[in-house]
Amino acid sequence: MNNAATGEPLLAARDLVKTHGRTSALRGASLDLRAGEILAVTGASGSGKSTLLHCLAGIVRPDRGSVTYDGQRLDRLPEKRLSELRRTDFGVVFQFGQLIPELTALDNVALPLMLAGTPRSRAHERAGEWLERFGVRGQEELRPGEMSGGQAQRTALARALVTDPKVVFADEPTGALDSLAGEQVMTALAHTARESGTAVLLITHDARTAAYADREASLHDGTVVAEDAALEVTR
Amino acid sequence: MTADLRLAWHLVRGSDRHEWWRIALTGVGALLASALALGAVVLGALRGHHPIPVADGLLDNPGERAGVVAALLLLLIPVLGFVGQSARLGAVHRDRRLAGLRLAGATPWQVRRIAAAETGLACLAGSAVATLACVVLMVRVGDHPSVWAWAGIAVVAVGVPVAGTLTGVLALRRVVASPLGTVRRARPRTRPGLMFFGAVALFLGALFVSYLSLDRRPGTVPTGPMLVVSGLALAGAAALWLVGATSRLTGRLLAARTGNPAVLIAAERLRDDPWAAARTHAAVLLVTVVGTGFVGVRQTLLEVLHSGKQVAEDLSFYTTGLDLTAAAIGVGLAITLAGLAVGTAESLATRRRTLAAQAAAGVPHAVLGRALLLETALPLAPGVLLAGLGGAAIGTGYASLTEGGGWSMPWAALLVPVAVYAASLLAAATALPLLRRSVRPAELRYA
Ligand SMILES: Nc1ncnc2c1ncn2[C@@H]1O[C@H](COP(=O)(O)OP(=O)(O)OP(=O)(O)O)[C@@H](O)[C@H]1O
Ligand SMILES: [Mg+2]
Repeated sequence: MNNAATGEPLLAARDLVKTHGRTSALRGASLDLRAGEILAVTGASGSGKSTLLHCLAGIVRPDRGSVTYDGQRLDRLPEKRLSELRRTDFGVVFQFGQLIPELTALDNVALPLMLAGTPRSRAHERAGEWLERFGVRGQEELRPGEMSGGQAQRTALARALVTDPKVVFADEPTGALDSLAGEQVMTALAHTARESGTAVLLITHDARTAAYADREASLHDGTVVAEDAALEVTR
Repeated sequence: MTADLRLAWHLVRGSDRHEWWRIALTGVGALLASALALGAVVLGALRGHHPIPVADGLLDNPGERAGVVAALLLLLIPVLGFVGQSARLGAVHRDRRLAGLRLAGATPWQVRRIAAAETGLACLAGSAVATLACVVLMVRVGDHPSVWAWAGIAVVAVGVPVAGTLTGVLALRRVVASPLGTVRRARPRTRPGLMFFGAVALFLGALFVSYLSLDRRPGTVPTGPMLVVSGLALAGAAALWLVGATSRLTGRLLAARTGNPAVLIAAERLRDDPWAAARTHAAVLLVTVVGTGFVGVRQTLLEVLHSGKQVAEDLSFYTTGLDLTAAAIGVGLAITLAGLAVGTAESLATRRRTLAAQAAAGVPHAVLGRALLLETALPLAPGVLLAGLGGAAIGTGYASLTEGGGWSMPWAALLVPVAVYAASLLAAATALPLLRRSVRPAELRYA
């Protein structure tokens, strides 16, 4: 990946428009994500943050505008390719509910590897390492219903990162946590992302969470109103 | 009360299509149940020899009529299973909303009334249609039904909605018990299988008592039907236990060993709640036993009939009886398969948020679909095999009892379990189109 060298963004959205029935969630939003950077997207509730993330991650197709990832137009890729891309190049973390309730923490984290054809024992090994990195060692056999919110989110992060993705999309990953658990999750995410050079698109409405980012973009009524690179300078 | 009704109406109207499916299917199930019960009541109320212009004289005499009534009542079992399955369709989301109402300060009784109103009204609509059709039919035929028949019709017309309402209330007890209700599902739950088995046992008992009270000479104890009913009760209990046990065992064995994501997901779900599918799967096994046994018995009987030995009635009397039995088994199978399809849809509807998150993370639809089918295919395979063998044993045993029959194996009977298994998988597969809708990104917006 030489995007960083050429200064070209890894993921670029241009003039995205998305309407749901009568509500316009996005009205011409543009955003760049460079390789290895952590970008926080903030904005009022209903400003279109989640919709923007869904478009960028190829989960939702925009009505108009373009999403370019690594030279490919995501908005034009067939669903099968998108799904494959989300499996190999992207990782997603939502506020809650992304783990399969019937699977143990270890199997949940191992699942993306098994989907890629890794034998289960090998997948378990890797999954164990990632769980350890996120400080949930010893809870491998717990199921999501038996974990605390913080443990579940850190397990979800391990699952998102276990395939060594290029981009992690996190939609308010700490939204359902108290401040201490939130801090643990964010420290773990920021640390591993920097270590492995993974880019992170982080949606949050919490200033303390946004402080973990290199850069901040704010959304207002479906458009990006301000991109703030000041954080990058101070880092 | 009107306020509760209005609230129930708003809850249904503001929700998505699952709610309507639940109500419509519950209504259809109630209609079927009422129709069967009404048929049984009307036939059961006839006394003595009574010529009926259909079915080649099969319904003319009390003896055969009793058999038909018993068959109609037995068909009620899969229908009730279907109603139970339908009433749960998407109910997890309704329960969650009702728990929300409790959190917002609604009293337990208010929540109960809202849930009861929904199920009860759906059942009322179904039974009203069936009753109306029955009354119109009887008036058109011009037969003069006895007071007993009218009383029975009234009991069914009122009883079905009442039973539906009670079920709706009972199924809710956890939501009512705590405002947090099903919002956070802890793992080990009570076995719904036991409750279902208790209900089936009760039902069979009631059925048997009503059967005995049918028109017959006092002093004679019919051992045949007694054997059939207790045999079916036993087979049903065994089937239920077998499905639960094999589900758990296959789940445990596969979950520990498999490297295939779809198998892993299916296996863990089986291990987590082996009784979830037991109701419908047990019905599938019962139909398999009865169907396989019937094909064997039918073959032997036809051979005897065609061998020219003297029989009491003319040939068409017997063949009509066989055809009617085959039709009844076919109806039972159809209802069971419908219940299976609804159950599969329910398991999808319950999990749409998780499924949508998996799809967002790039888990292919094919893997999710395969896991869904495996949840039916894995636990059913050993059960259907055993049920088929049991049915074949019945057929062979019957053949050996007839004069000169010997131990001829009714090979055609062995096709029945294969066909039932294939049909079950097809029924489960009908829920797959729903998977596409369940994984829409919009589902990510709901808790
Ligand atoms: N599937 C949908 N159907 C209908 N309306 C939708 C849908 N998705 C989003 N919207 C609407 O689009 C707008 C933006 O929604 P979005 O979820 O992107 O906001 P958000 O910034 O993530 O808000 P929050 O901070 O509350 O999560 C909202 O007005 C919302 O009501
Ligand atoms: Mg959002």
